[in-house]
Amino acid sequence: MMFDLSRLMMNPWKMNAGLLDAFYPPKDISTNGHLIDFLFYYTTAMNIFFFTLVCLGLFGFSYLYHHKRHPKPYYTHGNKKKQILITTLIGLAVFFGIDATITSISNQDLVNTFWKFPTEEEKPVKVEVLAQQWMWTFRHPGEDGEFNTADDILVNHDLHLPVNRKIEFRITSKDVIHSFYLPNTRLKVDAIPGRVTRMWVELTEPGVYDIACAEMCGTHHYLMKGRLIVHSEEDYLAWKAEASRIAKYENDTDNPEFYWGWKWGNN
Amino acid sequence: MTYVHAKHDAPTTFWSKYIVSYDHKVIAKQFLWYGIFFLGVGGLMALLIRWTLAFPGQPFPVIGHMLFPHTDGVVPPDTYAMLFSLHGTIMIFYAITPILIGAFGNYCIPLMIGARDMAFPLLNMLSFHFAALSGLILLASLFLPLGGAAAGWTSYPTLSTLIGSPGLGQTFWCLAIFVLGISSTMGAINYITTIISFRAPGMGYFDMPLTIWGLWLTAILNAIFIPVLGAGVLLLLFDRLFGTTFFLAGAAATSGTGDPILFQHVFWIFGHPEVYILILPAWGIVSDLLSFFARKPAFGYKATALSMTAVTVLSTLVYGHHMFTTQMSPLLTQTFMTLTMTISIPSAVFFANWLGTIWRGSIRFDSPMLFALGVVFVFGLGGLTGLYLGTVTTDLYLHDTYFVVGHFHYTMAASVLLGGFAATYFWFPKMFGRMMNETWAKVHFWLTMIGLNGVFFGMMVVGWGGMHRRLYNPFVYEFMEKLIPMNTFITWSAILMGIGQLPFVYNFIHSMFYGEKASENPWQVGTLEWTLPSPPIHYNFEEIPVVKCGPHEFGNPNLNNGRDFQYQTEELVKGPQA
Repeated sequence: MMFDLSRLMMNPWKMNAGLLDAFYPPKDISTNGHLIDFLFYYTTAMNIFFFTLVCLGLFGFSYLYHHKRHPKPYYTHGNKKKQILITTLIGLAVFFGIDATITSISNQDLVNTFWKFPTEEEKPVKVEVLAQQWMWTFRHPGEDGEFNTADDILVNHDLHLPVNRKIEFRITSKDVIHSFYLPNTRLKVDAIPGRVTRMWVELTEPGVYDIACAEMCGTHHYLMKGRLIVHSEEDYLAWKAEASRIAKYENDTDNPEFYWGWKWGNN
Repeated sequence: MTYVHAKHDAPTTFWSKYIVSYDHKVIAKQFLWYGIFFLGVGGLMALLIRWTLAFPGQPFPVIGHMLFPHTDGVVPPDTYAMLFSLHGTIMIFYAITPILIGAFGNYCIPLMIGARDMAFPLLNMLSFHFAALSGLILLASLFLPLGGAAAGWTSYPTLSTLIGSPGLGQTFWCLAIFVLGISSTMGAINYITTIISFRAPGMGYFDMPLTIWGLWLTAILNAIFIPVLGAGVLLLLFDRLFGTTFFLAGAAATSGTGDPILFQHVFWIFGHPEVYILILPAWGIVSDLLSFFARKPAFGYKATALSMTAVTVLSTLVYGHHMFTTQMSPLLTQTFMTLTMTISIPSAVFFANWLGTIWRGSIRFDSPMLFALGVVFVFGLGGLTGLYLGTVTTDLYLHDTYFVVGHFHYTMAASVLLGGFAATYFWFPKMFGRMMNETWAKVHFWLTMIGLNGVFFGMMVVGWGGMHRRLYNPFVYEFMEKLIPMNTFITWSAILMGIGQLPFVYNFIHSMFYGEKASENPWQVGTLEWTLPSPPIHYNFEEIPVVKCGPHEFGNPNLNNGRDFQYQTEELVKGPQA
């Protein structure tokens, strides 16, 4: 069994984190992550409310109607009109209090935001993503602005992006199903062999963040980690110019495998 | 029309009595031992997984060096993938299904509806033998050169095809699941037929105990959807063995253009009802036990039965919420989200009925009742946390994280496990003619309860922290380093829960031989099995009973027979105010 033990040697007791730190999600660095956070907190608030009611019933009745305190049970089959009405009302309260509300909020977020992909006029940054065991490859168009041409910029593991621009990803997989997961934007979408999936984000904070594969993809699934490097607009242009220059002599355009990309189009 | 079995002489040899028995009571015990064995195997796997997550790179204590000699007792990453794949498979198909459905389904159905046996005793026996064969195939796969299946319990292609899983492990997995599917289908049609045709005279559908309702609905879902899973794994088997390309696509697929997502559709059409297949018997058992131990009729019996039926129907229409991140068409996505949400109406109704049942009761806190109340608590948490995952946008973040793991363990593992323990403590006296020890049962309850909440709530917390599933070492990611203390906490909780099962094993085995002798009706309950001696005689009923009242007649103020309950064979006592 060949694997490197040293990379696993991490002493949990030397960490600065405490138990409570787990209750916070990763830092949100996107313009829309707060929508998902809000919905999560709303659902949590409603859940706490209803679960408190359940616990009041469960523990309260257990205390009040312990057979020592309450030897004579009340003989009812719970099928009187009033009882049926109360039960039905509870069902509807749960449905309208939580379900109907979060469904409609979520639906609005989808239609107005997450499914509203950037149009050409908005000049989105476009990236084609190839997932394979166990690596991410990112294809940026070169100076011609076209994908799958000789001047494309191909980067393994590292994804360079600017702040304050809409970014659209088109994602596929070479071998098994992976999932393109950016914890700091609260989004993920599967990378599926034979299909192209889409996702868009707009980032707000420069820095270096994790990219993860969220779908089990084999033994080294846990090592399928990329880096999301968010630049300021100027830095991004500088990176792109430099990357383009390097691409011109590093791209192995004789290798047919180089052209795994596709024309962007309207797919 | 009611059917009645002809009686034959009781078998006398060991072989005919315990191995090739047609007797539903013996087959139930076979399934019980089978389930408890696999519960142990799956539980050990869970501890290996948890150990790796909390103490990466450190050898597993005591047995680590024996299991993994090449890595000095540390779980290696490929074995880790196999462990979580088989932990899921074993717990769902080989532990919970046999215990709840195989054991208590077989035991309770004929006894509670007043029948001498199942409708098809031979089929019943074969059902266990196929399950045993399947279990052997699965266990054998552990000893293959490349190990057992390691593509997750969901076995998504193309990871589960030759592209991602060379070696025989995944092939054995497909075969084992297919054979188990045969076993479950046999069981299901047997249960359905028995409940429809062999109810004692006078017992309408709404006179059945709710346990039977739960088992019946489960059997219906099983009969419809297990064959779908069978078809899915058969196609997967073809892709692996015969070069077909149902599920192959992408550059690594050298031929053919299938679609890996097709498998997900097939899998979850089965997989979502499967959640309810597992939980419905537990719901039924809990509904009955709450009434039995609150000494009060089940609140809104009909509403509970019909809500469970509504959930059963809806469960067949919502499977797409497992696939939001595959980017289905927007219309499908919205539809599945909305349909998923409607499940909470019937769920809230029977939940309210459960609380209504203990309201103004006279509650006895014997161990079966403690476990039943435990189910109400954990299923409340499990049900409510499902809302985040049925909602598309929150699911985009939480999908494939530990939040999902925590949620489905609350619903499928915690609720069903506690339901199974409640059933075990409740029917043990009838099965073995002896009582289990109450003190040990209560120790078992509290250790299990504290342990499992630590584990599964902790999992939801780290999931919200962003930790995704099936990671050998999550801490290679910077954003997860702050989750290490919580992961350590979860592991200690899991160890506590594991230790908490020792009193159960001891109590179970000790009580079988040395427990206090059980009377005919130790819990003072009126359903038909408690009219029989403990354990019941061969062919259960000398005379087929005639049912005259419902299963939950407790605390009727007009009763004057010295009991606070009525047997189902007694005419309902009516008075001025009843």
